[in-house]
Amino acid sequence: MNKNLFFACSVIVAGLLGYATYLALKVAPTEATMGDVQRIFYCHVPAAMTGFTMFFVNFLASVVYLWKRSARADALAVSAAEVGVVFCTVVLITGPIWARYAWGKWWVWDMRLTTTLVLWLLYLSYLVMRRSSEAGSTAVMAAALAVFAFLDVPIVYMANRWFRTNHPQPMIGTSSLDPQMAHVLYINMLAFFLFGCLIYWFRYGLERTAQKVAAIHVRRAGVGTTAMMALPAMFFLQFQPPPPHHVDPHVYLYGAYFAAWTIYFLYLLLLSNRLFKLKKEEAELH
Amino acid sequence: MELQPGKFYVLRGENGAGKSTLLRMIAGLSEPTEGSITIFSLPSRDARARMGYMAHAPLLYDELSGMENLRFFARLYGIPSDAPLQDAIRRVGLDPALPRRVGQYSQGMRQRLSLARAIFHSPELLLLDEPFSNVDPESAAEIARLLGAMRSAGATILLVTHQVGLLASMADEFLLLSAGRLVDRGAMRGVHT
Amino acid sequence: MTTPGMSLSIAKLTANNVRKDLRLEWRSRDVLNSMLFFAGLVVIIFSFTVEPTAEESRRIAGGLIWIAFLFSTTMALNQSWARELRNGVLDAYRVAPAPPEAMFLGKCLANFLFVLMLECLMAPLFVIFYNLSAVGPAWQLVIIFLLGTWALVVNGTFFAVMSIRTRSRELMLPLLLLPVSIPAVVSMVTATTLVLSGEASPAAQIKLLAVYCVVYTTACLLLFETVLNAE
Repeated sequence: MNKNLFFACSVIVAGLLGYATYLALKVAPTEATMGDVQRIFYCHVPAAMTGFTMFFVNFLASVVYLWKRSARADALAVSAAEVGVVFCTVVLITGPIWARYAWGKWWVWDMRLTTTLVLWLLYLSYLVMRRSSEAGSTAVMAAALAVFAFLDVPIVYMANRWFRTNHPQPMIGTSSLDPQMAHVLYINMLAFFLFGCLIYWFRYGLERTAQKVAAIHVRRAGVGTTAMMALPAMFFLQFQPPPPHHVDPHVYLYGAYFAAWTIYFLYLLLLSNRLFKLKKEEAELH
Repeated sequence: MELQPGKFYVLRGENGAGKSTLLRMIAGLSEPTEGSITIFSLPSRDARARMGYMAHAPLLYDELSGMENLRFFARLYGIPSDAPLQDAIRRVGLDPALPRRVGQYSQGMRQRLSLARAIFHSPELLLLDEPFSNVDPESAAEIARLLGAMRSAGATILLVTHQVGLLASMADEFLLLSAGRLVDRGAMRGVHT
Repeated sequence: MTTPGMSLSIAKLTANNVRKDLRLEWRSRDVLNSMLFFAGLVVIIFSFTVEPTAEESRRIAGGLIWIAFLFSTTMALNQSWARELRNGVLDAYRVAPAPPEAMFLGKCLANFLFVLMLECLMAPLFVIFYNLSAVGPAWQLVIIFLLGTWALVVNGTFFAVMSIRTRSRELMLPLLLLPVSIPAVVSMVTATTLVLSGEASPAAQIKLLAVYCVVYTTACLLLFETVLNAE
């Protein structure tokens, strides 16, 4: 992992994220029925897309592992599952916050929410199983479980067709989404997807390190990541306090964004912690 | 490391040297971290039908009778009738009826039943992990004679044991393992560990 | 040299395994009795806590019955490889030339029969305690129960093998089984409720259960050997 490349990418992604968040919170037109709270959309949908993509990557990596038994494939698989679960958590937290304000209920058993919840449970069980399995058998069993988990996705989709859906119908790609909103959405999707890829890259590097205990490049990459964490915060702090008569929706709006970023931040903290532990281990070995 | 067919090999070494692990790898139960194992020019998992494995633990169902155990495992090897089983039981020195549950057997009996299971399909390669450990001296000598007879009939035998003296005359070669490596091989050189 | 007349057909091997499992179950009847007692207790406790009218009961009984079955099935499945583990017999299986899929199928069938027996005990108790009567065609319930039970048992047996190589085995099985089974459980419950209340035909749910069973039975058979030999 080239440290300069990683650092450069971190800066670019941080800038893009800041810009995307600014667009979402200030520039995008206010939605007619739901008001400002709808802006959670720009954080919620990209997280869903990134999360599901990660799960698909996990499936591919697991199949490759079962075929080739390469440690690299296993590292790709576990990293994808972890990052996917993080983004899925964001979806499951921002979704209900939005729903509570928009429809009055924290949770409804509709198609998309249920599918996301099931996916989250599946991959969480994947991660738990990896942690408690005996060494030597972990990678093979996890890969088998990953195949099972992914086979469930179309089945869950079919099952959910019988549920009434309160979920907003997909507006992506149809003319019913305001072009300005679509523009903001696409930028956010790109930004969060790249953010996800960056974390994935970092996590993958960590995994390979744990596999080889050679922490040099990863240590340096950690610096870039920490720097990247600071940049979006700068854009956040620039927002003016909302005018008093709009207090309600904005509490929810910012609450959702805050929750999302706390989750990302905590995960990055967790990774950095693991990184320092590996660094110590490596120092002891030399 | 290469082994010739039709010979009797004894694996020796101190505890923890990796003798049982090596046997497990040859039997196809563990994967080696480096290198590969071929038996009769096949990977170990494909040679299962021609191999007999006797582990250190008896690996039998306590709740079934001796005969039921053997019959069950015989089906796994595709043996449809009882005749080879009766033969094997007699050869290891057990009473052919075996009505009681294995849970009630002595250690020595369980060991011999496990041996019977390893030989009832007349394997070309026999892998044995400490077959003499719970057996009295006369029975041990009987079993050693049985193994010698099998070797003469053309089988290859690979045996792990601490009781080398018993096999001094019968074994073709002794392999000494230490800390996971093969350090010495050759005919017996006096009684020492 | 192989013994003449050697046959390793999957059907015969599966039957061999089922026979062995049934014989083992019969020999240790205490496990059987405890499971039956446990199943009965679950039904009774549910009846204590929820006391609906006949109309209400048709709506919720589907969910309650399947929750009770899930509980009992998980307990039964946890036991399924216990004997193999206790006697350390799995290594002897892996060394034998018989294809491991036969062992898996045999174990699944044995578990399936065992769980069906539990259900046959619990279902009448539910009918009694909740004054249940099906408005829709009751024969459909039989199909739903058969498919639903197989869906749980096939994955449960597979995950039970996986749990062998993990810490906290008894916890790992439900943890792995439940998320994967969600669509199947949803279908079972919906279908049962539809039949009991007679609202609509459960054809779609039954189709989904069938698809689920086919997909996962195939997946289990293909991946069993891999998981068994993961060392």
